[in-house]
Amino acid sequence: MSLARPGSFAWLALHELRLALRARPTRGKTRWIGYLLVGAWLVIGCLAGWALRNREIPVPPDALIGVLAVSTLALSFMTAQAMIGSQRTLYESGDLALLLSAPISGRSVLLAKLLGIAATIALTYAVLLLPIVLPVAILGHPRLFGLVALLLALALVAASLGLALTLVIAALVGPRAARTVGQVAAAVLGGALFLFTQVLPHGDGLSSTFTTVFERLRATGIGTSGLSGLPGHAGFGDPLAIAVLLGLGLAAFAGAGVTLERAFLSGYLDGGARFSRARPTGRASSRLFHPGLTRTVFAKEWRLLARDPALAFQIVLRLIYLAPLVLGLLGGRHAVPVPAALAFASVLIASQLVGSFAWLTVSAEDAPDLLQVAPVARATIDRAKLLAAFAMAAPFALILPIAIASQTLPGAAITLAMTVLGGAAAGYVELRLGKPGKRGAFNRRRSGSLVAGIVSLLIALVFGGGAAALVFLVGGGMAGAE
Amino acid sequence: MTDSALRIRGLAKSFDKPVIRDLDLDIAAGQLYALLGPNGAGKTTTLRMVAGLAVPDAGSIEIFGIDTTRDPLGAKAITAWLPDEAMLYDKLTPLEYLAFVAGLWRMDPAHAAAEADRLLQWLDLWDQRDTRCEGFSRGMKQKVALAGALIHDPRLLILDEPLTGLDATMARLVKDALRAQVDAGKTVIITTHILEVAERMADRIGIIAGGRLLAEGTLQDLRDRAGTEGMTLEDTFIRLTSTPAVAA
Repeated sequence: MSLARPGSFAWLALHELRLALRARPTRGKTRWIGYLLVGAWLVIGCLAGWALRNREIPVPPDALIGVLAVSTLALSFMTAQAMIGSQRTLYESGDLALLLSAPISGRSVLLAKLLGIAATIALTYAVLLLPIVLPVAILGHPRLFGLVALLLALALVAASLGLALTLVIAALVGPRAARTVGQVAAAVLGGALFLFTQVLPHGDGLSSTFTTVFERLRATGIGTSGLSGLPGHAGFGDPLAIAVLLGLGLAAFAGAGVTLERAFLSGYLDGGARFSRARPTGRASSRLFHPGLTRTVFAKEWRLLARDPALAFQIVLRLIYLAPLVLGLLGGRHAVPVPAALAFASVLIASQLVGSFAWLTVSAEDAPDLLQVAPVARATIDRAKLLAAFAMAAPFALILPIAIASQTLPGAAITLAMTVLGGAAAGYVELRLGKPGKRGAFNRRRSGSLVAGIVSLLIALVFGGGAAALVFLVGGGMAGAE
Repeated sequence: MTDSALRIRGLAKSFDKPVIRDLDLDIAAGQLYALLGPNGAGKTTTLRMVAGLAVPDAGSIEIFGIDTTRDPLGAKAITAWLPDEAMLYDKLTPLEYLAFVAGLWRMDPAHAAAEADRLLQWLDLWDQRDTRCEGFSRGMKQKVALAGALIHDPRLLILDEPLTGLDATMARLVKDALRAQVDAGKTVIITTHILEVAERMADRIGIIAGGRLLAEGTLQDLRDRAGTEGMTLEDTFIRLTSTPAVAA
């Protein structure tokens, strides 16, 4: 901190960079697993660097297209990450009150915060990129340092874009809905390119989706020259391309500082206001009081989910992300018959939904102490919460068994049974292995519980595969082939 | 039946180091008892063990004669716990929150609904009964939590720093509510750093430090022990906690 004058932009920027560096697990198994993976990744990078030290690395047009495709995909993820970072900065972090009450200009605060967001993004991807790229670059291929410059440029652009989008949303929908709409928009943006590739016409399963995109880029010449070729050329060390992209990144960063200062301040001030929906219903209080613990728990869990649209959307988005897997089963040379593929999908959807709802109801309890001081056994509450998770997932989990029933009734019965079993197993895993967390951390719930994630995946695959095989055996294969 | 609301014997609890050491405490029914002590003295840990939120390493706790280890659900059924940070759901309204608490305590729905209406009106929350708690001030949240603690008519009410952060009006309302509970024959245990509150409200006061009970009794008992006749509870408290030999 002594590198810069206290209170200056550089001093504040160093403070934000320090916070960004510390925004990672610092204790527990997750940290050690992370160190281990990065270490292994670095060893691979060193071996690759040693093997390539005296060899020329060719740069064919396909490599340039590949860099463009990856950069575009990364930019969409980075921008989504920046939007979430911007929302945290504006509405959650709490240190803006301190910074803005200090004798520091609003623009310095904004730029320092933006730099912190960019650094967080860059660090996320640097962990994947640098252990491989740096050894190869140092051991004889310095032009690959261009990939580091490309990463920095993308992070700067994404941070500026993410903040701008967040502020535009706040201006359009108002402070009350800004958080929810912003989270939904970030989720859509994060998956937009991925989903776009799935709707492209392709005929040979999952792997060909990416081939289709690549072929189209190659056919149109996009990614090898002109503006679209900048990421590829920069990544492989072209000084001019590097200068242009870094210049663009810095221009976006500075532009955000100049143009967004006022919107940033009003976004923060509006976001500080807490709103409640005051809707006196005038109806009798007794409508809310139910006999039975299960009904009481279900009513509470349902209300909490229904009043958090951003969270509900994240759960739905997870189902959408399953689409490629099912499409892959249905298409291509080794296509699975429709009823069997749908049986697999049904179990997959049920285990995802019940697992998600079970985590929310059991592990993301807002008032765990209240439940602990209540005169109800823990097992009874857990059972009621699992039933609530089941009930919330049931309408979605029934869709595919009903669809299968139009082709094979035994297949539908098997699917339903396996869906229930898969869902129950997924819920049980969350009950036993899920790590407590806040509801807002739904997407990061697996970061503290790798085992639960792996077991849940295995359950989905085993029960789903079992369902597909059984449906195929009882005639679902013939029905699908007809 | 017993006239002892809370009976603690040989209670011990350690985390990294001992927090509660061989604590004995008796609180008679129908009293407002203030448990005082410096920061880190073990007040909250003691009360969390009474409420069933932490398990003692040694010792026993009885609430109205019910051993909390042997019959934890029986003890919880007649106890309410109100921490300094209200145990609420931001997305629920006060009425929905009370319905949930009533369900946890398995109250009769009709009786619970009537009781909820009465509490919401008494605590001046009626106009906000259908408003989500997320926008409430700290004081409002504390009142909702207090309604939740009272709806199942507990015989023992335990409150950890119930007045912290409340404005004068809210604090008066909470104090009146607690006094009304005691007048109705309930037992109330509070911890507080606001010694004037303990001085004015408490029937008996216990002073805990270093995980041990230093002194216990009425305000006059404590003054006699500390040799602070005519002085405030603050003077007495400081004398007792800074000079353990006096307390002994």
